[in-house]
Amino acid sequence: MTLILQAVINGLMTGTLIAVPAIGFSAIFAVLRYPNFAIASYATIGAFAAWWANAILGLPVIPAIAIAFLITGCIGVGAEETALKRLRGNGALIVAIASIALNLVLENIVRFIFGNDMKGYDLPLLRDIRFGDLRIGPQQLQSLALAVVIMAVMFLFLRYTRFGKAMRAVADNPDLARLKGIDPARIAIVTVFLGAGLAGVGGVLIGLDTSIDPLTGYRVLLSVFAAAVLGGLGSIPGAVVGALALGIAEELALIVVPATYRTAVGFVAILIMLTFRPRGILGERAA
Amino acid sequence: MTELTASRRQVLAGATALAGSAAFPCFAFAQGAPIRIGTLTPLTGAGGPYGPVMVKAVKAVIDEVNAAGGVNGRKVELISEDDQTNPEAGVRAARKLIDIDKVSAILGTWASSVTTAVAPLCWESKTFLCTTSGADSITALPHQGYLIRTQPTTTLQGKKFGEFAIEQKAKRVFFLSPQTPFAKSQFDNITMAVKAAGGETASLIYDDKKPAYRTEIDEVLRFKPDAIVFGGYTPDTAVMLKDLYRADFKGTKIAFGYSVNQKLVESVPAEVVDKTFMISPSPAEGSKAYDRLVKMIGVAAPDPYTTQIYDHINLVLMAIAMAGDSSGAAIKDAIRKVSQAPGGARIDNAIDGIKAIAAKQAVDYDGASGPCDFTEIGDISDSKFRYEQVQGGKIVLVKIG
Repeated sequence: MTLILQAVINGLMTGTLIAVPAIGFSAIFAVLRYPNFAIASYATIGAFAAWWANAILGLPVIPAIAIAFLITGCIGVGAEETALKRLRGNGALIVAIASIALNLVLENIVRFIFGNDMKGYDLPLLRDIRFGDLRIGPQQLQSLALAVVIMAVMFLFLRYTRFGKAMRAVADNPDLARLKGIDPARIAIVTVFLGAGLAGVGGVLIGLDTSIDPLTGYRVLLSVFAAAVLGGLGSIPGAVVGALALGIAEELALIVVPATYRTAVGFVAILIMLTFRPRGILGERAA
Repeated sequence: MTELTASRRQVLAGATALAGSAAFPCFAFAQGAPIRIGTLTPLTGAGGPYGPVMVKAVKAVIDEVNAAGGVNGRKVELISEDDQTNPEAGVRAARKLIDIDKVSAILGTWASSVTTAVAPLCWESKTFLCTTSGADSITALPHQGYLIRTQPTTTLQGKKFGEFAIEQKAKRVFFLSPQTPFAKSQFDNITMAVKAAGGETASLIYDDKKPAYRTEIDEVLRFKPDAIVFGGYTPDTAVMLKDLYRADFKGTKIAFGYSVNQKLVESVPAEVVDKTFMISPSPAEGSKAYDRLVKMIGVAAPDPYTTQIYDHINLVLMAIAMAGDSSGAAIKDAIRKVSQAPGGARIDNAIDGIKAIAAKQAVDYDGASGPCDFTEIGDISDSKFRYEQVQGGKIVLVKIG
């Protein structure tokens, strides 16, 4: 029982790390209708921006995360406007492929500026807290709290602000939204800013837990994509549910399957999901 | 209509030129056909910290040899490719080196997975391959002599890890590694050494692309190990060390020197990695070749792979000089005549070697990584190991043996 409970706790923790970039990915998909694989490099850029703020400028974690969000958001918008925007008319597949190329370019720019070496944040590492046989990391709890706050803010933003409502309107029906006087180009920019920024924050959260290098984002790209698909592409609560489900499924599976097959387990879960419910857990449209 | 007929004068001029080039072949080839050598090192990916320095060492040797007149009057040209520490990218880069650049030899493949993938391309195309990978299976491939390695085998390394764990009074040793071609033989040999002393072992193979390994660590700790051996590369080992610290593991930690390196020590909080032991094949510190390499590249303590690739390029260039031919087959046949000729002159660099070869002397190269004598299947016959420990954020030498 302890074994299962511990696996669930671990799964929730890995899940929340993936959830934040997955929200960014899903938000971009919801409004612009293409999978933006460049979020891997946005996550890496965010991780490095926060590292720069934290280890070089000596700022604490929260301001470092805010800086990462802003920088990544701006870079995301810049990349979108220069590289991806003009391809949008050619269909989602073309933009998706271009975003993979963009990802490689951005990743190598990071490599060029910061080098290829591993870097770590200037933070003390804390021992786990123990409750009987269960253990929980204070840092993971902090990341969990941060992720929950970010998700809540994002949710409130979409639900109650004019901009959030406009975003949802464009996601729901772009033509109808335009008739109502919503400018889709502006919405696109804000969405990419938010999506890339969230991917950047996700990169920081992953970096806080591990170390960062130019491949930080790339390593979790598949999990982020999987979480978004599992939850239902384009659904923001779906991305969160998908990420948590994926995290817990992978950790629980480790009890019976060797650890090498961990990634495979996640994908088997997706395969089953898509076979029986192609729109994902919370997706509304059939994919 | 295009005029296709040539005037008598043009034909005559052409024929003379043809006859001329046939009469003086050296004019056509001395400068025209440089010897091409490829490096296929990890410039990015997990091996990224090593590749660039390795290439620098090769370039320094080639520049020096070219300045001294080249090999058999031919210039040497270096083509450097990145294997990204990834077999698929390694194969693509090797294809380019072999098919487009037509290199004589490929030097410095680092990850065992990359070497395993690239080796068949080399022997099929008769391109010589020098590697720094440790997996036992590599020299067991049917490479027909087109491969040598300067890294001790994992059999040897596994045994040393096991023995060292016992030396540290460990009875229960856990081996924690990602899926690598050497993970199994490494674990088998650790087990053999530990069981011989009455101890017990267990292992876990993990997926090295995950952001956290908490459940894996839980499984490790259920074994109640007093020593953990890490078989991974730098990024995943850093995560493992952090997760073990969080889980309050207090036993002995032993890792490969290439994964727990200065970069890792600097990137994690000091207490996470403190007291970790590292074992790595030791370069021949203090040897002439080693001192020469240090001066050449301006790095005070070059890593083992840089010393090894320095030996690769020296050996290959001398083999070409010895054979008078730069084909992979010629290098294959001549390599042991320059690495270990019985009673040969002790040589520590290619320039002196090429001179000795020109003077018809036998050559026995002693390198920066070690004596560089090869068995029939291409393994080195002797190597020392270096035992280090992280103490207060610094890597301290414990012993060489």
